[in-house]
Amino acid sequence: MSLSTTLYAPLALVALSAVAIYRAQTPQTTRQMPPVQQTPSQPGNQPTYFVEHPDHIQPGLSFQGRWAELTNPYEGNAQRIAEGAQLFISYNCLDCHGADGSGAMGPSLQDNRWHFGGTPGDVFQSIYEGRPDGMPAWGGRIADDQIWRLVAYVRTLSNGHAVATENFTGKTIARTGH
Amino acid sequence: MTPGALLRLTVLGVGVLACQPSGAPPSSDSSLVAGAKIGTPPPAVADGEWSLPARDYANSRFSNLAEITPANVKNLHVAWTFSTGVLRGHEGQPLVVGNTMYLVTPYPNVAYALDLTQPGFPLKWKYRPENAQAAVGEACCDVVNRGASYADGKIVYNLLDGHTVAVDAATGTELWRVKMGDLNRGETITMAPLIVKTRVIVGSSGGEMGVRGWIAALDLGTGKELWRAYNVGPDSDIKAGPRFKPFYPQDKVVNSGTASWPGDSWKVGGATVWGWISYDPELNLIYHGTSNPGPWNGVQRPGDNKWSAAIIARDPDTGEMIWAFQPTPHDIWDYDAVNENILVDLPMGGAMRKVLVHFDRNGFAYTIDRATGQVLLAKPFVPMNWASGVDLNTGRPNVNVDKATAQGKNVKDICPSLEGGKNQQPAAFSPKTGLFYVPTNNLCMDFEGREVTYIAGTPYIGGNAPETGGPGGYKGEFIAWDAAHGRKIWGIKEPFPVWSGVLATAGNVVFYGTLDGWLKAVDARSGAVLWQFKVGSGIVGAPMTYTGPDGKQYIAVYSGIGGDMGLLIAGDVAANLPYDVRERGTTLPDLARYTSWGGMLFVFAL
Repeated sequence: MSLSTTLYAPLALVALSAVAIYRAQTPQTTRQMPPVQQTPSQPGNQPTYFVEHPDHIQPGLSFQGRWAELTNPYEGNAQRIAEGAQLFISYNCLDCHGADGSGAMGPSLQDNRWHFGGTPGDVFQSIYEGRPDGMPAWGGRIADDQIWRLVAYVRTLSNGHAVATENFTGKTIARTGH
Repeated sequence: MTPGALLRLTVLGVGVLACQPSGAPPSSDSSLVAGAKIGTPPPAVADGEWSLPARDYANSRFSNLAEITPANVKNLHVAWTFSTGVLRGHEGQPLVVGNTMYLVTPYPNVAYALDLTQPGFPLKWKYRPENAQAAVGEACCDVVNRGASYADGKIVYNLLDGHTVAVDAATGTELWRVKMGDLNRGETITMAPLIVKTRVIVGSSGGEMGVRGWIAALDLGTGKELWRAYNVGPDSDIKAGPRFKPFYPQDKVVNSGTASWPGDSWKVGGATVWGWISYDPELNLIYHGTSNPGPWNGVQRPGDNKWSAAIIARDPDTGEMIWAFQPTPHDIWDYDAVNENILVDLPMGGAMRKVLVHFDRNGFAYTIDRATGQVLLAKPFVPMNWASGVDLNTGRPNVNVDKATAQGKNVKDICPSLEGGKNQQPAAFSPKTGLFYVPTNNLCMDFEGREVTYIAGTPYIGGNAPETGGPGGYKGEFIAWDAAHGRKIWGIKEPFPVWSGVLATAGNVVFYGTLDGWLKAVDARSGAVLWQFKVGSGIVGAPMTYTGPDGKQYIAVYSGIGGDMGLLIAGDVAANLPYDVRERGTTLPDLARYTSWGGMLFVFAL
């Protein structure tokens, strides 16, 4: 087997597998991986192939499949937000995340900083599936439309909070311990 | 020295009980409490070693080392440091056995063994256990660890995710690993196990998660579970059998651990064991405390809620409950009783009494007969107003009804706050002075109860309790306490709660640390601060002392703020989490000016 075939075959297999996996997990998307391009080697040198992806690969981009497509039917709905605020207490969210989401055992939801993304779909996923540091998975245990109420409420908590600088002159909040 | 220090106990009606500090130090070398001594034999290691969390079974945290004295402690300097590689609250203390130092970090609970004989103190080994990440979000009060115990060539400690592990002290190889708690129910473990004979005594955390608390014994050699006793539930579960003899007649009830609860509420009743364990080899009793009952909202659980917020004596061989006492029956203030029980022999009423001394969250310092559970003395050691005293006929507090919390009612200005007169931070005892050295909080709270639903794996609290500084304008005080008479001898006021443990030494120097990062050396007799050093991050662990291979005395302490005070109350968060930025809490608004998160060991010598 020539060197060129040795190199080409596994690379193509990897590229085609990646395409297959990507397609399998995003049935709704219509984007396609463009075909792999190869640049043949210069004459007289050992043959090498340069594999180029026209779309650059973004580091740290959460794999957003069906979650990112979701929109919140209750976004901005004052009534549903108020119901979400009540659910935030009923489901004990406030004891982990602090009253008004100020942070306690779990991170702050008021700081407009999102470990796992802050779009409605991202927040829905966090509540539905849970997260590695111990956020429980509520999906399938409470109704989806209750989760959407919580999403609507949680996303209002960051309004107007500026957290980048702490100069010890701003207001403080009453925190509770154990 | 006048008999009785210059001490006034001021009782202001239904107001705050306050102890005024003395100005007159004891003279010369005589103990203020003649004949007071540590109640157990010294540990079976050299004076310069430290093999158990609190040095001995009595939990004295007293060392016989005396090279460092009030005269020379001003020459203390940093000898070396070690970075633990981990942020979050560094509670607990290192161990030194032979010429090796052993450290355990906060989650993920890495263990290090440092070779003290080599320049630079290189590692002999580093053990990085598997430790479920989900535990981070189940721990109520930061991902702390209170340390390891050493025996028979093994380092034994608990993982946050509910395992107990034993590691070969020479090689770091994992010898056994046992799952003790269920993370899905919100059970984590933060306490330091105590090795008693060939048993490892372990308890759970999760009183805020509706966990039904337990204490268990594992075989040191194999990790096999020998017994597990719950602290609430039927007699068979709590192991209250024919040998159970609570001192107070009203407590002698069949199935006390269910009769004092409505319906099945005991099943999520808390009473966990996250504090320190002590052991009397002569009586063959282990002593432990239990946490608050679940939920905080007392309306959902009328009754005494035995045996939450209790001190319990058990047989370490079988787990049988021998006696039990509740400092706070029907605890509606989150006053856990998990604080350490220091075993001492004290002269009281003309006779030497075998007692335990316990500085409770509820603000009372108890001196209790450790054979029977009888309360000999209970006096406030911090400003407090929720109770006017303890009735020695029944052991029960005389509750001030104005400070009783309830669902839907915002009760204001209750002292001490739920953090207690003292929290996880352990006190020390010196047989040379006969005094206890106690790190205390001066905090008050408002408390509003709220109905709560139990959902496994989520908090089961039902209450909101913001805190303020207590009367006097200081939020902490390091005090010297005479437990034979129930009185404060002197105190050093601090701007922040004194959240570190204490070390007492035969050189008559005692050590404590502050939340804003000062390690302080204090004259054990006079209370004068003789030396202090600012370490990199607030101190929430306990200083310890050991003899180095060069024969010199060293003082070692973790620096690394966190824990309940550092994380939940101050609202500061480790700077390496850009997705979690919190507003300052009202209670300690300036703390983050003086300390940020860190993880270091500091070692000092003359």
